[in-house]
Amino acid sequence: MDGYFYSVLAVGLLSTVICLVAGLMKKAPNDITILSVAAVELVLLVYLVGSIVRVVAGERISGEAWEFWGYLATALMLPLGAVYWSILERTRWSNFVLAAVGVTALVMAARMNQIWY
Amino acid sequence: MKETPKVSTETTPKNAEESGQDTRNTGPGRLLIAVYAVFAISATARAGYQIATKFAEAPLAHVLSAFAALVYVVATISLAKPGRTWFKVSLAAVLVELVGVIVVGAFSLFDPVAFPHDTVWSLFGRGYGFVPLVLPVLGLLWLNKRRPGRADTRVNGQ
Repeated sequence: MDGYFYSVLAVGLLSTVICLVAGLMKKAPNDITILSVAAVELVLLVYLVGSIVRVVAGERISGEAWEFWGYLATALMLPLGAVYWSILERTRWSNFVLAAVGVTALVMAARMNQIWY
Repeated sequence: MKETPKVSTETTPKNAEESGQDTRNTGPGRLLIAVYAVFAISATARAGYQIATKFAEAPLAHVLSAFAALVYVVATISLAKPGRTWFKVSLAAVLVELVGVIVVGAFSLFDPVAFPHDTVWSLFGRGYGFVPLVLPVLGLLWLNKRRPGRADTRVNGQ
């Protein structure tokens, strides 16, 4: 497990907790919950750029390379999809959808770490 | 799901109108579809990967993986679509999923030799935090809540 994983862990869990609390408080998605999911996307983008740099620098992915990039690409799409959906329906249930992004990204980052090392 | 009764009181007029049109993609249904979508994507990717790279090692497990992926895709799409026909498709997909996770879970527990490779449903979905076992139950509860022709749906529709 590397720094990227722990970054996703920290930001993902924080985002999930924020969105869960907002959902339980019966709030519709607001700037705070949407920005917390945007932060997850940002960390994943850093992960993407960092991984590209590492591969270009000559580091080898020990598992299947395309599996790693597949996970990363899917993880990058999740926040976008969830935010888009939360804008379409502004009820507290959309906050629970947003909450799912953080933990899902966390699980995917764990898998990506397993593939890389 | 114990909070679902509150939904009918807090839905906006737009939602009430939509529930009258026989939909299942608003409120808690949205969360359900989101989780189903994540499983549809991950199960499809995993099954595709298994079949492409090591199908011969365990054909049965990998065919099951592909079947599970198909069920999740059908459930996701049908839950998102309005109308009575899609309701029936949803019901069938969720029931198949429930039977699948119980049967495959039981078989993988009692006869691990027949299931050397993991599927989404192995050991009742333990590899996925037992979400595959809980998901169809929540799905059935939600479908029952939004059953076409159910009294409160009709009231909303009129």
